[in-house]
Amino acid sequence: MSSTEASIEGSAGQLPLARLVTGNSDLDAILFGGFPAHSINILMGEPGSGKTILAERLMFANATEDDRPILFFTTLSEPVDKVVRYLQQFRFYDETKLGTVIQYSSIGQQLADEGVGALIEILRDAIVDLRPKIIVIDSFKAIHDLSTSVPEMRRMLYEVAGLLTAYETTAFLVGEYSSDQISIYPEFAVADSMVELARNKLGSRDERFLRVLKLRGSDYLEGQHGFKITDDGLLVFPRLVSPLHPPAYDLMKERVPTGVTGLDKLLNGGLLRGRSTFLIGQTGSGKTTLAMQFVMEGIRVDDPCLYVSFEENPTQLDLQLEAYGLDGREAHARGLHFFYVSPVELQIDSIVATIYRTVKQSNIKRIVMDAVGDLLMTTGDASRLHSYLYALAQHFAVEAVTSIFTYETVGPNIFTETRMSALADNIILLSIQFEGRRAQRTLRVVKARGIAHDLNEHDLTITGRGVEVG
Amino acid sequence: MNYSSPPLPSGLPDRVAEGTQILVLVVERDPHVRALEAHFLKQAGFEVAFSADGREARAQARERLPEILITEVLVPKLDGLALCRQIKQDERTSHISVLVFSILAASSRATEAGADAFLMKPLAEHRLISTVNSLIARRQTSKG
Repeated sequence: MSSTEASIEGSAGQLPLARLVTGNSDLDAILFGGFPAHSINILMGEPGSGKTILAERLMFANATEDDRPILFFTTLSEPVDKVVRYLQQFRFYDETKLGTVIQYSSIGQQLADEGVGALIEILRDAIVDLRPKIIVIDSFKAIHDLSTSVPEMRRMLYEVAGLLTAYETTAFLVGEYSSDQISIYPEFAVADSMVELARNKLGSRDERFLRVLKLRGSDYLEGQHGFKITDDGLLVFPRLVSPLHPPAYDLMKERVPTGVTGLDKLLNGGLLRGRSTFLIGQTGSGKTTLAMQFVMEGIRVDDPCLYVSFEENPTQLDLQLEAYGLDGREAHARGLHFFYVSPVELQIDSIVATIYRTVKQSNIKRIVMDAVGDLLMTTGDASRLHSYLYALAQHFAVEAVTSIFTYETVGPNIFTETRMSALADNIILLSIQFEGRRAQRTLRVVKARGIAHDLNEHDLTITGRGVEVG
Repeated sequence: MNYSSPPLPSGLPDRVAEGTQILVLVVERDPHVRALEAHFLKQAGFEVAFSADGREARAQARERLPEILITEVLVPKLDGLALCRQIKQDERTSHISVLVFSILAASSRATEAGADAFLMKPLAEHRLISTVNSLIARRQTSKG
């Protein structure tokens, strides 16, 4: 190869879209690798939605001492001192980077004195003097308030976009924009990506969501992704989507004993590996006890198990295990994982993400979610929960995880939330009838895909050994 | 601001040290790219001349005989690749090193047009200056 060819071929490596990581692997996954490098990006959302934190986390994640600097310009929304004061509360803050690789400065006064057109000179000077790798302007929307006319603002923006496009830098325009302003403000037309942060009030707490509205030149994970603000920045929970490939056929033929001999007989040997079962019934009908027995059987045969509870805390669950002769510590040592979430803290995005991660990391083979109704009550969006549960069930099938979801019914209705039944490969109905001073529990296999099962109602009793089905 | 970026690539050719600046002709229509190219090339010690279109650049190249010609593909009247071909086919200008610097992923087409190097936008001053320096070093080596 000649030296001429070497020069030219060497440049061809620039073709793949370069990315700028955010400092958050889950957000990078949503963006399919990060923000496009050398682009203009908008981070939008109401005050307090986490925009500045997202930008700052990204800045510190990309700050390396032997590289070009990163510039953060504040305009008129918050003084630099205030921004820096709160910045120091975060774990990602690194004092050795501040003032060296990362530069904060206020340009609000200069813009107020000289007009919005001064931004062009500010950026040009910054580029030729400092050659910044990243430029953050917070708040860009506030610059509109200094503009004396729409044409003036548009002219400035045209020049700024041209300048930022000409030079190898990645710009973030942070602003308190709302969705209905996307078609009004001209910066949205020049933006290569847009990420919206939103906060929805839900009962006594807030749910935060992040959404990618645009990402030029790249695919991305659509929809709303839950997140929390932590002392290390944003903790993002990518929306769970169905797996790309269906489960392997062989796995789906294997039988999984439930731990209840009578039930296994009705199911012609047990549940099928990787299938989902809804265990439904009134309060007191034996759902949790049966579900726990399923998990205890898993421990007995060395299947790693995950018990997800929204009602009973780990201490209560350990006590239940002990009541049936299994020491809690021994059970944990043998592969039993508990995941307890207090009902007042339920956020389906974080729960689903944690379950999915645990299943993958711990090679879980049996899982119980007790109870789905608790999740339903805490979300304002039942269809979102339905989508998540469907995706989870599909992932469980691919990973050969046999799942039991408990679901409490009121009165004779099998499913008050009818869409849930479509999620289930199997439905087992537990019931409790009262006649005078006597109570009688029963069990019926209502549906069992791929299993020649007994449809009759059978007596169910709970003894010191657990559930027994007659 | 008290922080300065890492220095630009050093090791400029001897002629700069001797006081004779090397002429670089830049063919570019984007005012921002022109301004930044001018700044960084001058900062690196080069003399810079501009043409806004391909025909004017061809005329300037014949007249001023720059050592390096940097051209975008998308320039008016005569596109950068056609300009490159004509520069390389004309014996008066064939010795000029041509760097195609474009927003287009046109590496292969630049090779076919006879370009000595290709860079893709946006402008990264280190890449630009080191490529220009390597082209000049190569010229000096080939001259013996």
